[in-house]
Amino acid sequence: MTETVLRVRGITKSFGARAVLRGIDLDAHRGDVIAILGGSGSGKSTFLRCLNLLELPDAGTIEIAGAAAPLVHDTQGRARIADPRALNDLRAKTAMVFQNFNLWTHMTVLDNIVAAPVHVHGVPRAEAADRAQALLEKVGMAGFAAHWPRQLSGGQQQRVAIARALATDPDLMLFDEPTSALDPERVREVLDLMRALADEGRTMLIVTHEMAFARDVSTRVVHVRDGVIESMGPPALMFGADASPVFRAFLSH
Amino acid sequence: MSEELAFLAATALAIVRALPITLVLSLSSAIGASMLAAVLVAAQQTRIGRPLAHVWIFVFRGTPLLLQMFMVYYGVAALGPIRHGVLWPLFRDPLFCAWLALTCCCSAYIAEVLRAALAAVPTGQIEAAKACGMGRGTRVRRVIMPQMLRLALPAYGNELVMLIKSTSLASTITVVDVTGVAQLVIAHSYRTIEVFCLAAAVYLALTAGLTALLRRIERGLAQ
Repeated sequence: MTETVLRVRGITKSFGARAVLRGIDLDAHRGDVIAILGGSGSGKSTFLRCLNLLELPDAGTIEIAGAAAPLVHDTQGRARIADPRALNDLRAKTAMVFQNFNLWTHMTVLDNIVAAPVHVHGVPRAEAADRAQALLEKVGMAGFAAHWPRQLSGGQQQRVAIARALATDPDLMLFDEPTSALDPERVREVLDLMRALADEGRTMLIVTHEMAFARDVSTRVVHVRDGVIESMGPPALMFGADASPVFRAFLSH
Repeated sequence: MSEELAFLAATALAIVRALPITLVLSLSSAIGASMLAAVLVAAQQTRIGRPLAHVWIFVFRGTPLLLQMFMVYYGVAALGPIRHGVLWPLFRDPLFCAWLALTCCCSAYIAEVLRAALAAVPTGQIEAAKACGMGRGTRVRRVIMPQMLRLALPAYGNELVMLIKSTSLASTITVVDVTGVAQLVIAHSYRTIEVFCLAAAVYLALTAGLTALLRRIERGLAQ
């Protein structure tokens, strides 16, 4: 019996009159690697951004590693944060890797990695720096600690961003199209790294267009379409002969 | 010819003696205006502060600095509670009045510079800070402020250059700064162009020094 890291129930989200998410339930257990696939505009990125409350869902509940998202809804159904401290605590259990890396451009590589451990988790700086060096080695970026983000290629920046995400030892890692902004020849280095994280048992939710990666690395594939989960299952099933016709049609595009 | 040179040397000396006044006024106004601008931008982020900051900027950016100085020095000083109150030693001093007017006026401009820089901080930089659990204060201190200051620096430098030149208006309310001394010398000597040229050269040196300093800082931050 494995521990539930993520429990999502009934997430909905509209931007104005457009319903982007129309009721999503999802559970993730420790060590799950969940690939979230879907066409553009299907709501898959919005869903991911709801999990750490970068977007506030209009309805539904989120629980991460036993902590509930502090969401309340007023009489008009508008969502707001009940308790900013609980929000920060919840986010601190997660880490996000963005499509555009979003390394802090005014900090060196090392400072990017130690920022959350030092300023959020209160780890002594020397200790955080030691760990950062080890992480840089792990992501193949040893020797780049003193570099500035803009001196790095896209693939290098994304690997540093992954090291930054690992620095707080998060319960849940959220990847929002981590290879979509990379040159084709740089995609491999990031995917290889993510595969290594999956192998060491990290709990990961990955919004991606990399079908081969989803098939080979994930423990579960989720197909999001029109704001709902259209189908979901282990990759062997999803990419097999018995897959949902809608997902097959999506794959054949 | 030698008489001319002697006059120029004496004038230059007199003007340089007034330089500390111009420097003190520039520096203190720059500090005051920057701090006030930071308060204005912080106020703009709150519901109650937004209209107040708006009115402040509207008034001080929309009226001439010269009139503001006149109003502080001749207007406020004529008010009974000021004239007979504890603040009189301050408002009696033209240097203080010039400082107050410059601080208020420039704060409005610098606040606009800071507001624009704040709006220009990329969303992704802030989201990365939110996503790792940084609270609002930490986000502001560690991410938003450093990014904002770097974005604001070129336009902020411009405002400081304008501020230095604007200190010359203080001479109209009897502050004996670089411009004030120049006018005194002209009143005695009836020589205009060479005296004003000397005074202008002093301002040019000041702004050139400031510009060079800002460029160095900008290069340092460009990493």
